[in-house]
Amino acid sequence: MCGILQTQRAENKAAPPLWKAGRVFMAIGETAVNSGNTRVKRRKKGIQWSAYGYLAPALISISVLSLAPMLYTIWISFTNWDAMHFMNYSFIGLRNYAELLNPSDPLNAVFVPTFIWTIMFALLTTVINYFAGLLLAVLLNNKNIKEAPLYRSLLIIPWAVPGLISLLSWQGLLNQSYGQINAALHLVGISAIPWLVNPFWARVSILMVNLWASYPYMMTVCTGALQSVPDELYEAAEMDGANWWQRFRFISMPSVWKVSLPLLIPSFAYSFNNFNAVYLLTGGGPARNSTPFAGYTDILASAAYKMTLTYNRYDYAATLSVILFLLVGLISWLNMQFTGAFKEVD
Amino acid sequence: MKSKRTFKPGQFAVTSLSRLIIWIVIIVSIIPMLYVVSASFNPGQSDFSASLIPPNASFANYIALFKTTDFGIWIRNSTEVALVVATAQMFMTAIGAYAFSRLRFYGRKYGLMALILLQMFPGVLSVSAIYAELAQLSLLDNLWVYILIQIGGSAFNIWLVKGYYDTIPRELDEAAIMDGAGHWRIFWKIILPLARPMLAVIFFLTLIGMYSEYLMANTILQSPQNFTLGMGMYSMVSGQFATHLWGEFAAAALISAVPLTVAFGFLNPLISKGLTAGSVKG
Repeated sequence: MCGILQTQRAENKAAPPLWKAGRVFMAIGETAVNSGNTRVKRRKKGIQWSAYGYLAPALISISVLSLAPMLYTIWISFTNWDAMHFMNYSFIGLRNYAELLNPSDPLNAVFVPTFIWTIMFALLTTVINYFAGLLLAVLLNNKNIKEAPLYRSLLIIPWAVPGLISLLSWQGLLNQSYGQINAALHLVGISAIPWLVNPFWARVSILMVNLWASYPYMMTVCTGALQSVPDELYEAAEMDGANWWQRFRFISMPSVWKVSLPLLIPSFAYSFNNFNAVYLLTGGGPARNSTPFAGYTDILASAAYKMTLTYNRYDYAATLSVILFLLVGLISWLNMQFTGAFKEVD
Repeated sequence: MKSKRTFKPGQFAVTSLSRLIIWIVIIVSIIPMLYVVSASFNPGQSDFSASLIPPNASFANYIALFKTTDFGIWIRNSTEVALVVATAQMFMTAIGAYAFSRLRFYGRKYGLMALILLQMFPGVLSVSAIYAELAQLSLLDNLWVYILIQIGGSAFNIWLVKGYYDTIPRELDEAAIMDGAGHWRIFWKIILPLARPMLAVIFFLTLIGMYSEYLMANTILQSPQNFTLGMGMYSMVSGQFATHLWGEFAAAALISAVPLTVAFGFLNPLISKGLTAGSVKG
């Protein structure tokens, strides 16, 4: 298990693109298990009120900057606050939600395709990145490859580059007319691919760049899991005549699953709202003809963002955000059920 | 066991094939980055070739970056924001973690987990509320408002540092109490000096994180003299003049990515140590 911990990266509030929320869960689960084992009974004594003094700066700032905006978002989703009703918006109950779910409403025309793409994106990117990481980890776990540590450090580079810079760089590299990726493809006789301007290729670009940026993380996780399997197990299996596939299937995989499953769900939840991955690469485009609010690659989070900043539809943006709150909450809850994290943390 | 390892026939093929796949992945991963490096040294503005070594390499793009764009202003703004936010973050984390590690109070058991859960909800979902409210109060486009919005305590950091504090022997506290020290003195004179490495990690990670913050910066800031690094670079690569600025963008990407990546490389092992220290407590 230590391998996993050593490869954890810190979740940092200031840097959502760089550090992924998912890792927190894993680490917390870890602590929960460890502290549960070595738990020391503590005497109950009086409450030290000064504790709240120590906590005040953090608590106040979290309340004002995390909790209050969330509650305010929920409130706005019940109003008609937009540019037209900027100073005199009013409470309209569930009308925004009704519009969202009514198939003949224009808002629904934004919501449904964007929602489908959001789920597709989150699922595909998690699965592709995971299997790419797993494949590399398995290949590198070969005892005959002595220089594996060197390969690992080379493979980890994309992950170490700040996401903001690498995503923006990709935007330039994938430019249809001047990007160097098309120039390189031209060398091998492939004509220019409309990477970021064609709906299909824009989606491919997003998945591709996400793979580039995230497989090192998945590889690191799987490597940790594979290395935690004692060699004796493989030797015993070999004695019993198991071939490499059987060894992989019945010895490696169970342990990899145990470690990586609790990370896959948060990873899915993270991708679900991975605003940067979409917005910094395609800006949500190419645009749809049917609606100005969301382009072909917009996920719900980036659509809500554009509704706020570009169209000043705070009501619609808040409604979409509340739906996302619920989904993130649901996924986190599922994850807790799976991993048993948070059950016993003292 | 020490006998010379001999390859079984199948094993050699598998190993060679593995090496081949790994090298292909490495090359495919690294080449895009090398393209950015080469673009930054390529003075020609129109022809972008597939070759990795530009024919007449020069520092023209780097000079142009500082002469023709506001790169200096972006760096200054981002540095200002990052320093203030990282300092505040470190302070809040240090004292908040002390309460969770050493004091008894209502909410100690589940409070931290509740806060971490709360912060699982990504900031992008609160943008509409924050933007609408700031617009109504006419507080948009102000660097200090942006800084204030970023100075939120991070429950995860508190959890991380609490784990570190937990590894500091309680005997030290008890000895200090014997000598008549209160909690503030224990915190200030014992815990804080011992936790300096961990707090430095928090400081630098927040610092790095703030340099690559884009979402809130783009929400709050508008005028060019308030642009942060992320906003400035975004404007270079996706504006209508993007084609002409690709070389300068590449130079900017290199200047900002190299220090951040190297710093992260040094800090990552430290933070892992912190996580492990936090998880093994006895």
